[in-house]
Amino acid sequence: MIDRSASDARPDAASGTGRPAPASAGIFDPGLLDRCISCGFCLPVCPTYRLTGQETSSPRGRITLMRALESGRLADGDPTLAEEASFCLGCRACETVCPAGVRYGELLEQWRDHQWRGRRRPLLARLLMAVVSRPALLGLQRLVRRYATGKAGRRAVPGGADRPASLMLGCVERGLYPEVSRAVLELRPELAVPGGQGCCGALHAHNGDSAAGRELARKLGERLDGTIVTTAGGCAAHLAHHLGRDRVAELSEYLERTGYRPAGEVRVNGRRARVALQDSCHLRNALGVTRPPRELIAAVADYVELPNAGDCCGAAGTYSLLRPADSRAVLRPKLEAIEAADVDYVVALNPGCLRQLRQGLRRARSRAKAIHLAELLVMAARAANRSTPR
Amino acid sequence: MNMRGDLARDLAEIVGERHVRVDDGALAAHARDATPLFEATPQAVVYPGSTAEVAEILRYATANRVPVVPRGGGSNLCAAAVPLRGGIVMVLTRLNRILEISREELLARVQPGVTTATLAAAAAEQGLLYAPDPGSHTVSTIGGNIATCAGGLRGLKYGVTRNYVLGLEAVLPTGEIIRTGGRLWKDVAGYDLTRLLTGSEGTLAVITEATVALLPKPKESGTGVAYFASLADASRAVTAVIAAGIVPATLEFLDHKCIAAVEEFAKLGLRLDAGALLLFGDDGEADAIARNLDRIGAICTEIGALEVTLAEDVARADALLAARRCSLPALSRLGPLTVLEDVTVPRHRLAEMVDRIDEIADRYELRIATFGHAGDGNLHPTCVLDPHDHAAIERCHKAFAEIFSAAIALDGTITGEHGVGAAKLPYLEERLGTDQVALLGRIKRAFDPAGILNPGKLGS
Repeated sequence: MIDRSASDARPDAASGTGRPAPASAGIFDPGLLDRCISCGFCLPVCPTYRLTGQETSSPRGRITLMRALESGRLADGDPTLAEEASFCLGCRACETVCPAGVRYGELLEQWRDHQWRGRRRPLLARLLMAVVSRPALLGLQRLVRRYATGKAGRRAVPGGADRPASLMLGCVERGLYPEVSRAVLELRPELAVPGGQGCCGALHAHNGDSAAGRELARKLGERLDGTIVTTAGGCAAHLAHHLGRDRVAELSEYLERTGYRPAGEVRVNGRRARVALQDSCHLRNALGVTRPPRELIAAVADYVELPNAGDCCGAAGTYSLLRPADSRAVLRPKLEAIEAADVDYVVALNPGCLRQLRQGLRRARSRAKAIHLAELLVMAARAANRSTPR
Repeated sequence: MNMRGDLARDLAEIVGERHVRVDDGALAAHARDATPLFEATPQAVVYPGSTAEVAEILRYATANRVPVVPRGGGSNLCAAAVPLRGGIVMVLTRLNRILEISREELLARVQPGVTTATLAAAAAEQGLLYAPDPGSHTVSTIGGNIATCAGGLRGLKYGVTRNYVLGLEAVLPTGEIIRTGGRLWKDVAGYDLTRLLTGSEGTLAVITEATVALLPKPKESGTGVAYFASLADASRAVTAVIAAGIVPATLEFLDHKCIAAVEEFAKLGLRLDAGALLLFGDDGEADAIARNLDRIGAICTEIGALEVTLAEDVARADALLAARRCSLPALSRLGPLTVLEDVTVPRHRLAEMVDRIDEIADRYELRIATFGHAGDGNLHPTCVLDPHDHAAIERCHKAFAEIFSAAIALDGTITGEHGVGAAKLPYLEERLGTDQVALLGRIKRAFDPAGILNPGKLGS
C-alpha cells in the first residue's frame, strides 16, 4: 500500500543524492525499465551476484541503478554505475527466471551505449571493434579462397531444407579457430560461404555501440543468403534479434532441422568418450536452444550433464579480456564441475567459451579437452569412415 | 560533519572495508525491497560476517542513535526492509551456512542468510522436509522468513514458519546475544520469546541463527486442477472439501485474470474461459493421495466445477505449482505497477470476501486480480496499475483501505503472511485496537530503548 510518510522520510536519510527527479534522461526505453517489479527471482542465477553477494551486482540491483541514472538520482559519472555496467557479464541468465518478462539484455545494451559512449569505452574493446570491422586482418581471405562458392544454396541440402543456407565465418573463429568452420563444411559441404563477410555486430552491441551492432547485422544479412548458419551462440542471438529468428540457425539447430544423422562414435582409450556440454549463454538464455546440442553429443558419445552446464563460463565476449580476474572467478566452479564429472571432452557452442574453457582447463592441468561441437561430430564421422572401408 | 564518511569508517572497523558500502549506487539499491511505492535511502549498507559483528554494529548504533534495518533477500512485500528513517541497512546474506541437519532429531540449525530453497534442498537430500515454502523461496532467506513469519503454499496441512521455529540466537539492539528455545519440542521456561521474535519484522532483535524443525519427507505427492465459473464457486468448493474432513497439502486458487497472466508466461495449456482455477494437491502415501484427490475432485464436480483433471506426472504437477508461484510477477505483465495485498478471512467466509473485493474494485474502477491460498483463507488481491496514473494509484489506496475494513468485518485480518511493515502500519490499529497497539509499543521499548531497530514500523 501507499504510505505518504515514506517520502517524508527521505530528507533525513541524507544520501546526498537528493530526490529522484521526475524528468527522465531518455537513456532507456521506459517501457523496458518499468517492467521490473524487484521480486528478486533473478538473484540466485546471477553469476556476479554469486561472486559478491551484493545487491548492486545483481540484475535487480542493476535495474535499480539504471532507474537512478534515468531519473537523475545518480550522477552521470557515478563510479558504481560505471563499475556495475562493466562487471555484468551480459549472460542474460536472469531473463530465463524472470516471470515479469524483463528484457535485461536490451536494457544492458542501452546502459552501455550511454555508459561507454565515445572515449569512455574500454580501450581494449575499442581496439577489438576496430579490428573486426576489417575482415582482411582476420585471415578470412585464406579460408574463403579455400571454401567460398560465392553463391548460396546451389546444391540441395539433404533432409529437405528447401531454402538456401550460408555459413557465417565469425570474426573470432576465423582468427582463432578456422578449423571449426572447416569442420562444419566437412559435415555440411552444401553450405555456401560467401566472401566479404564482416562482423555480425554482437561485439559492438555488447560494448556500448548498439547502433553499429544493428548496422553490421543488417549488412551481414544482405551478404549472406537464406538461413545464416553460425557456430557462435552469441552471434546467433544478436542476428536473430535484428534480422528475425527465422533467418538464423546455430549449428546444432541447423543440423537438426536438416535431418543430419551423426555417424560413428568418439572413443577414448578403447571406450566410448565421456562428453559434457557448456551451453552458450545467449543460445540458451536468449534463444532457448538447449536440446539439439545435447542430442547430437549423446548420439556419438556418452553425454554427461554438468550440474552447472547452463551457467556462464565467464568468457562473455570481451569480458575475459576486459576483466580477466572476474572472468576466472566465474569460471572456477565450472572447472570444478568438469573435474568432478571426469569427462574426456567439454563441448562449446561459441568460440569465446571455447577459448575460455581451453585456457582454464590448461591452467588447471585437466585431462578434459574443450572442443567445438562441429569438431566432435567430425571426429566421430571420420572414425566411422575409417571403420567402414569403401 | 561528514556523517557518511564517519559511518563508513566506524563500520569498516567492525566488519572490514570490503563489507561496508556508502556509495550512492549501493544506497540507491538498498532504498527499497520488493514492495512498490516505498523508498527511503539509507546512509550505509553493511554485510556482517558473524554474530559478534552484528552485536558490535548494534551496540554502535544504539550508542550513536543510528537506525538499523536488517535485510535478507529483499523479497519483502510490506516494505519491512525499507529504511524509512535512513541509517544502516544490515544485510545478513553473508551468514549463509547450514550448520547442521540432524535426521535423528529432525531439525536443522542454520544461519539467517540461507535461502529457503537451499535449506529445503539440503533437507531433501537427507530424506527430510522443511515445510514452509513461501512463493519467493529461491531468493527469500530463513532469517527473513522468520522475521516475517512467512507462509506459503502448504500452510493448510503444514502450517507456517512459526510452527517450525524451535529456537533462535538473536542480538538485541543493545548488543546482548540471547538464545531462545533450542532443540526441544517441549519447553515452557519463560515467555515464549521464540514466537515473539517470529514475525517481529526486525523491530525487536536481529536473528543470527535458527533451529528449525524438519519432517520426514513425504514419499509421494499428487496434484489436480479444477476449473469453476467463478472464484466464489471455487471458494465454496474449498469450504466443502474441508468440511468433508480432508486436509490436503495444497489448495490454491487463481481468478481468470491470473489464469490468463500465468498462461501467457508459463504456457501450460490452462483453460482461459474459466472464472477460477483451483489447484489442489496432497502428499504422503500413494493410495491415500489418490483417495483424497479423487474425493476432492468429486466434491468440486458436485459444487459445479466446469472440469476436473489430475496431473498425470510429477513434472506436470511441479509445473502447475511453479505457475501458481509466479502469479504475482506474471500479473505485472499486464501493468508494470502491481500493488499486492494479503487479507485473510476465516475459510468459510472466502466467497463473501471475494465478492466484496470484486464489488470494491468495480466501484473504484480498478483492475484487481485475486489469487491466493484458498485453504488458509489467505487472499492476494493484486491491483495492476500504470505507475504514471496518479489518480488510479490514489483510488487503489482507498480501495485497499476498504478491503482491509471488509476483511476485519468478516473476522479476518489485514495481513496473513506478508507482514505489516510500513505498508500496513496505518491499518494496524483498526485490526488490533488501541490497547494492543500500545502494548506493542511497550514491548518494543523493552527490547529497543533507543528505538534504533527498524524504526517507523511495528511498535514505533
